Amino acid sequence: MRLRSKRLSRWRAVLLVSLCVAARAAAQSNVPIISGAAAFVGTDNQGIPFFQPILSPVLVVPLGDRWVIESRGLIQGVYLRENGRSGPYQGRFAATLDYAQVDYLANPHLTVTVGRFLTPFDIYNERFTALWIRNLQDPPIIYTIGTRTSASSNGGMLRGVALVQPNFNLTYAAYFSVLQTTENLQAGRAAGGRLGMFVPHQGVEAGISYQRFLQNQNYNAWGTYFSWQPPPVPLDVRAEYAHSPGGQGYWLEGAMHFAGSRGSTSWIGRLQGVARVQQFFAGNTFDPQNLLPRVDVNRFDLGLNYYLPHDIRVNGSYGRQYSSLGNGNIWNVQVTYRFLFPAWPGEHK
Amino acid sequence: MKKLPTGIASVLLLAGSFGLLARPQSPANGSSPHSSTAKKSLDVKEGERRFQENCGRCHTPPVAISPREAKAVVQHMRVRASLSKEDAELILHFLTP
Repeated sequence: MRLRSKRLSRWRAVLLVSLCVAARAAAQSNVPIISGAAAFVGTDNQGIPFFQPILSPVLVVPLGDRWVIESRGLIQGVYLRENGRSGPYQGRFAATLDYAQVDYLANPHLTVTVGRFLTPFDIYNERFTALWIRNLQDPPIIYTIGTRTSASSNGGMLRGVALVQPNFNLTYAAYFSVLQTTENLQAGRAAGGRLGMFVPHQGVEAGISYQRFLQNQNYNAWGTYFSWQPPPVPLDVRAEYAHSPGGQGYWLEGAMHFAGSRGSTSWIGRLQGVARVQQFFAGNTFDPQNLLPRVDVNRFDLGLNYYLPHDIRVNGSYGRQYSSLGNGNIWNVQVTYRFLFPAWPGEHK
Repeated sequence: MKKLPTGIASVLLLAGSFGLLARPQSPANGSSPHSSTAKKSLDVKEGERRFQENCGRCHTPPVAISPREAKAVVQHMRVRASLSKEDAELILHFLTP
């Protein structure tokens, strides 16, 4: 027994050393990086205040030109009053793994992904959940359509640029996911895909998504998205529509830097105004697990983002929600810091 | 264990076949080494344009980035943002002039 334990320890040591040597060798030309963002969010949701310290690190390990290992975690605390509106603040932390995937860049048109990845439904989940990138702190109401159970999938995915033309690109993603109930690694049994077209010179992108949820009760979710950045104007327009048996809805968001180009360092050029409207129409079947409201909801949000030097952003937003369960105001204030550094020291140039 | 519906399996298979059978891009599209400074300068300028068109839709460039870090960042974003190979190479030129 002791001999077996010694052998196992030796094997582990050899494996660890081999991994270190391989990673170090790969780093000579292509260093692994740690990126991500840290944020502190203060919220007042219809009279209930709470605070959230958040850390979202991203690890990227390129292995040669074709293989990439990448992962993003989320460590999030929530501090709120004992009785909602009164009493001392109490908090707890939770850690989840958003993605931990191995990518193989098979050819210019195909990337094969295996592991845990963000479910590619419409564009919000994959692109705008990153702390630094989202213009408004709160996700859209329809966010859980097509992304349940946890917005992540455990399985395999094929994706890439199917067609590259001078005037447009066609992109695609197709995936399957297996059921996983392990805490913080949950995923639903599902399959689906997304097809998109990007017209770079016009700054226009549009696409459609589909998901077949294959667990408990099978059902379809589908959606469509649109984004537009008119090249001479620092304006972003984004919109999504999604439909499922639990309900359907859309959101439309516009964000604009007040002066200069996106890279402007003038004080006014660092300021960005954001507005978003959204409507949700509840479906006939209510499922508490899909986190959709059971009644129709209308909401608008207005926000201001200020991009300070050294990758720090301060933003605040006000939202008003209307539903038959009651109307209310939602206030958010957030400070975000974006970071990027090599996983280990080396030559800078 | 339940089987995947035939329709979904077909979509997955079709997507995979399309990607595998697709004709690779010509190496002339920015992947060959450029010896002339003028050509490199043009690549950097084109790379900046591609950055604005693709990456600039979601975020600004990082404040400081070394060439070694840039390669990892571009590989990461090639997967996440479905960048074409040509776009990825030109954006790398822009990030590491």
